[in-house]
Amino acid sequence: MSSLDGSTGPLQGLTLPAPPREEQPVRVDRDAQAPRPRRRRKKRRKNWIGWLFAAPAAIMYAVFVLRPLATSIQYSFYDWDGITVGTFVGLDNYVRVFTDPQLLSSIGHAFFLIIFFTVIPVSIALLVAGLIRELRSKGLGKLAQTLLFIPYVIPAAAAAIAWSWMYATTGAVNQFLTVIGLEAVTRAWLGDAGWALPAVGLIGTWINLGFCTILLMSGIGKIDASLYEAAKLDGAGFFQTFRAITLPGLRQEIGVCVTITIIAALASFDIVFMSTQGGPGYSTMVPGVQVYQLGFTESRIGLASALALVLSALVLAVILPLQKFFREK
Amino acid sequence: MTEHLVTPHSAGTVGTKLRVLGLGACALFALAACAPPGSGSQPAASETAPTEVSTELGDEPVELTLYDGAGLKAKDEALIEAFTQKHPNVTITGRYDPDDVQAQNAPRVLASDDPPDIARVIALSDVAGDGLLTNLDAYADAYGWDELPEGQLAQYRVDENGVRGEGPQYTMADGFTVTGFYYNKELAEKVGMTEPPQTVEELEGLLAEAKDAGIVPIMAGNQTGQVMTTTQMLLNNALGAGSINEWVFHAPEATVDTPGAAEAVATVQDWAEAGYFPADTNGTDATGALGRFAQGEALLYASGNWDAAALDEQMGDDVGFFLPPAPEGNEPATMSDPASNFAIPAGSDAKDAAAAFLDFLRSEEARQVVADAGFAPSGEGEVPTTEEGSVKAQIQEAFARLVEADGQVQFVQNATNGLTTTWNSEVQRLVDGSTTPEDLLGAVQTKYEDELGR
Repeated sequence: MSSLDGSTGPLQGLTLPAPPREEQPVRVDRDAQAPRPRRRRKKRRKNWIGWLFAAPAAIMYAVFVLRPLATSIQYSFYDWDGITVGTFVGLDNYVRVFTDPQLLSSIGHAFFLIIFFTVIPVSIALLVAGLIRELRSKGLGKLAQTLLFIPYVIPAAAAAIAWSWMYATTGAVNQFLTVIGLEAVTRAWLGDAGWALPAVGLIGTWINLGFCTILLMSGIGKIDASLYEAAKLDGAGFFQTFRAITLPGLRQEIGVCVTITIIAALASFDIVFMSTQGGPGYSTMVPGVQVYQLGFTESRIGLASALALVLSALVLAVILPLQKFFREK
Repeated sequence: MTEHLVTPHSAGTVGTKLRVLGLGACALFALAACAPPGSGSQPAASETAPTEVSTELGDEPVELTLYDGAGLKAKDEALIEAFTQKHPNVTITGRYDPDDVQAQNAPRVLASDDPPDIARVIALSDVAGDGLLTNLDAYADAYGWDELPEGQLAQYRVDENGVRGEGPQYTMADGFTVTGFYYNKELAEKVGMTEPPQTVEELEGLLAEAKDAGIVPIMAGNQTGQVMTTTQMLLNNALGAGSINEWVFHAPEATVDTPGAAEAVATVQDWAEAGYFPADTNGTDATGALGRFAQGEALLYASGNWDAAALDEQMGDDVGFFLPPAPEGNEPATMSDPASNFAIPAGSDAKDAAAAFLDFLRSEEARQVVADAGFAPSGEGEVPTTEEGSVKAQIQEAFARLVEADGQVQFVQNATNGLTTTWNSEVQRLVDGSTTPEDLLGAVQTKYEDELGR
């Protein structure tokens, strides 16, 4: 029972799998798993062959990731409209990012979304995975996997449009509430300044739940069955087993779920852009949409780059400690 | 479960990583210090203002490229066909991007090595100021464009400070949008409206009547900012068409943060509180609002000619159109801006032929083509023929009146690139009561000055 036996497919051996959607590129610790050569000097001569094999990927990475990153950093020190010659403004753009209440509140919204993108889906996925393990029904497990994974296959932009119809005054959500006698609370959910952000977050929950469940269910399959058997013999109940065996056994998978969904929350764009565009008012504005508007609508490339870089730094600041936490024994 | 966890890094790896990071950071900062972005993309000034121009197209084959938004393709292709029939030696290839993409990409396309010869330009003052467009004054002299209505010419001019409305001519529109109120004739009868309201008081009376009768007075999809349409109609009345245009054209010191404007915005807030807009307006988008109006949910729908075809199809004779009522004794004024404001990029290599196309836009044939496509025509002349009594005919008549009164007002959302978002967000907050008229105008004016660097 090893995580290196290949049964985990593409996730095997990575501290972080490549993100499946168009989120920010995740910094992958490439050398975390590679055995370090003991006698470096001898090996060094042969290193160029390694570089040769890595070259196609390395060149692509340099051209499409590192170079844009470098130019973003350069732009962030300029006031530039994307066409005419930019003016160097030093740290002005960064000062603005940290002092403009509208930009700051958008960052706050992104952190609020973590509840819906990460906390809720991971919790529910854990419970679902644990329950399905308990039921030991292969058919049910497959069915649940398939059903829960469907939302993840649908493009988030399309899901956001479908959900915005469901959230409308006469949409499915309000129809359901009316049927169960809650007509008093019906409203245009995305049009209500207080409810729009949770409503948008719930779309994220719906999308991320399937991904987390799949990952955790495959993780649970790798936990040594004899452990469960022993727990059962000792008379442990569902919650005891869950806490003592399932949770610790899934530590790495939970780490991956949390990492990917937090990135999805902090760097969210498509769901918000397609459902509310940041409205009503500024109640659902997130940095991703803000960067788009600053960069492409207002042609303020410098400020947009600065906000994007601050966002990337924030993502790293949140993710790196979490990575450490989930890696430690 | 022993091997589930990845072993922590050794200290040596961390050290190497730090070194790599340090090197990378140095390289990045070195990069940040090099030439500013955008250097070397400026066309020489001489290219932007040709002096020797010709109105003759000759017989030599000429190839032109026209760049526009995809939503305008049908109209553009019809214009191209009409033009090339007159001038068989000219071929025009249309190139289309989705409308908003075209709006955002136009500056980059104009600055590229191989720009189109005719292009729709929305952020006119930015682009003209960047030297990307041909100064058309020589063509204006040659073709006599100075006889166009002053209100239309103003939309083509930009001065050296980027202020629109005066200075050299850079564009020519193929047609215009017109904004006003669509009304449901059946419901109008119910609330006792026999003819379109002539004053704001009359309009307000109708709204109250409709509300009492359980009819939504004004349909608006404010998720996409449609309450702005009504808001600007009232602003036009409060500030006057001239002041609004000056503000949109970036005249120095122009402001919308005035007590008069606040009063107009307060009226909108009162109307929202009185339930004159649908209760879920902030959760309804423009498409949804259009559908609900067509289904007979509301008395009025503040919108423009772009919805005429759909409403004509769905409501037939049941829908009418009128210009927003003006204050007592004033001429009508309403939002009406270019459908495609065509410019000739500085880098075009067939400017004479492109200018001939621009001149063609005010001809009788082009005016009819544009009217058939649902827009109001460019220039002056006979009102193009439309099906009598149809809503399209009413729109053409309304536009003719508007041009006569010189009442074309630019959309305030278009004053700067970022203002659409600000106006729309602020008016959403106005409707749900989370901002005041004064704060709304203050926020808009601040954003406006911020974007203009004032």
